[in-house]
Amino acid sequence: MTDEKLKEIINAVFVEQFELDPAELTPEKEIFTDLGLDSLDIVDLVIALQRKFGIPLRQNEELRKIVTLGDVYTVFLHLAEENPELAAKIAGE
Amino acid sequence: MNDGRIARRRVVITGCGAVSALGNSAGELYRALCENRCAVRRMAEYEAEFGRALPGAPVSLEPSSVRAIPRRQRRGMGDAALYAAIAGQEAYRQAHLETVDLADGRSGCAVSSTMGSAKSIYEGVEMLLDGRREEIPAMQFFRCAAHSAALNLANLFGMTGVTAAPCSACASGLQSIASAFEMIAFGRQDLMLAGGCDELTPAVAGSFVQLFALADPDSRQDAAELSRPFDAARTGLVCGAGAGIVVLEEYEHARRRGAEMIAEVLGCAVNTGGAHVGQSDAASIARCMGLALRDAGITARDVDYAAAHATATVAGDREEAAALREVFGAGVPVAGLKGHLGHTLGASGALELTALCEMFRHDILLFTRNLTDPAPECRGLDHVTEPRPMKVRTLLKTAVAFGGINVALVLRNLG
Repeated sequence: MTDEKLKEIINAVFVEQFELDPAELTPEKEIFTDLGLDSLDIVDLVIALQRKFGIPLRQNEELRKIVTLGDVYTVFLHLAEENPELAAKIAGE
Repeated sequence: MNDGRIARRRVVITGCGAVSALGNSAGELYRALCENRCAVRRMAEYEAEFGRALPGAPVSLEPSSVRAIPRRQRRGMGDAALYAAIAGQEAYRQAHLETVDLADGRSGCAVSSTMGSAKSIYEGVEMLLDGRREEIPAMQFFRCAAHSAALNLANLFGMTGVTAAPCSACASGLQSIASAFEMIAFGRQDLMLAGGCDELTPAVAGSFVQLFALADPDSRQDAAELSRPFDAARTGLVCGAGAGIVVLEEYEHARRRGAEMIAEVLGCAVNTGGAHVGQSDAASIARCMGLALRDAGITARDVDYAAAHATATVAGDREEAAALREVFGAGVPVAGLKGHLGHTLGASGALELTALCEMFRHDILLFTRNLTDPAPECRGLDHVTEPRPMKVRTLLKTAVAFGGINVALVLRNLG
């Protein structure tokens, strides 16, 4: 699994869920202020990521603290390191 | 006022918008109706669920008009609310509402449908039953809420006045317009977006099948001939979808900003049969029409055109025809639009009203499609069955709903 592959998958969720321009999706972008999501959207982001990766996320502490898109990448990199099945799923996407 | 009625202000229509199975603007809808086009087709996509392709009159939207509503406002809209939003945008443009401060607390929104988005409710329940409660999106509630269309339109247009959603099934749209009229007439608001919307779904069509109220689903007849208001061969209604939204405005408010006035709402009435949850009856419908005429300060002789509800059910058309005979005799042209459009449920009264406002601009009457042989119980009326040159100055529009709820509105042409 490459970091790039993971970022592609996460970016695709943002594009599909929130109709964002892929060109806007760079790691330093803040989810609320730059990408224009609000608290209702965050609920739907978590659900979409759950569905995409097949793992429960609502109680994930790290995910609750995300500020930037890069933070989202980091959360899933950590999850993939701890969970070989998740890493394999990502590699297979 | 010296006639004993409560003093009230004049209310005019300054814009109309429509999303329908015959076109996604009031003008397109009107032209299609004049050309006798029919939106009813066999819904092959229902075959899996029902074992046959039920008739229906579905809407289709251009992706660009959907995208024209910003995602942040669109995300809480199921299909019905989306139709209302797009129709609302047309009404907004027609009325030039960019010149009005809709956040002044004096501008509100009365829009309703039979229920919240039927499709979204179905999806939500499916997820619950499948044990996928945690996958239900945050926005699902806003799509399912009974007042989904109203809350979404109020937020789309930034309106801070009254938001109301009188949901009364097939009378929803017209009742919303009647409510909005009263709010302006009695001084609570100066401007209201008002109307109704509804979706076509297998569940809703199926509920009419259960009640034996859907036009013969097993018939091999051409789908375009299935919805036959007042006709001897009528077998029931065909479900449709869409939205009709009008801008209602206090007369001086409209005059001061130079708005074009399409029509004046002279009066309205809402009443209930009170005897049967499933049906209204000729007596209460006639009473409703009479109350609306009195509210408008006119008599039946002053009406040039009666725009009927006429769903093409056996009982409904019989009762409404009897009411029309009692109020108007054979002296007033009568027509209904459900032969062309199907029954758009919560949208119907409002959507059909937008076509009638277009009719005001032209001198040709809208007519009843598929009325080739009026049923004996529906005779004694001047049925308009093809385009008829005639200027309409005053019309009466009715809607009749489950619950035995009747609504009637009187409009005067200001064109």
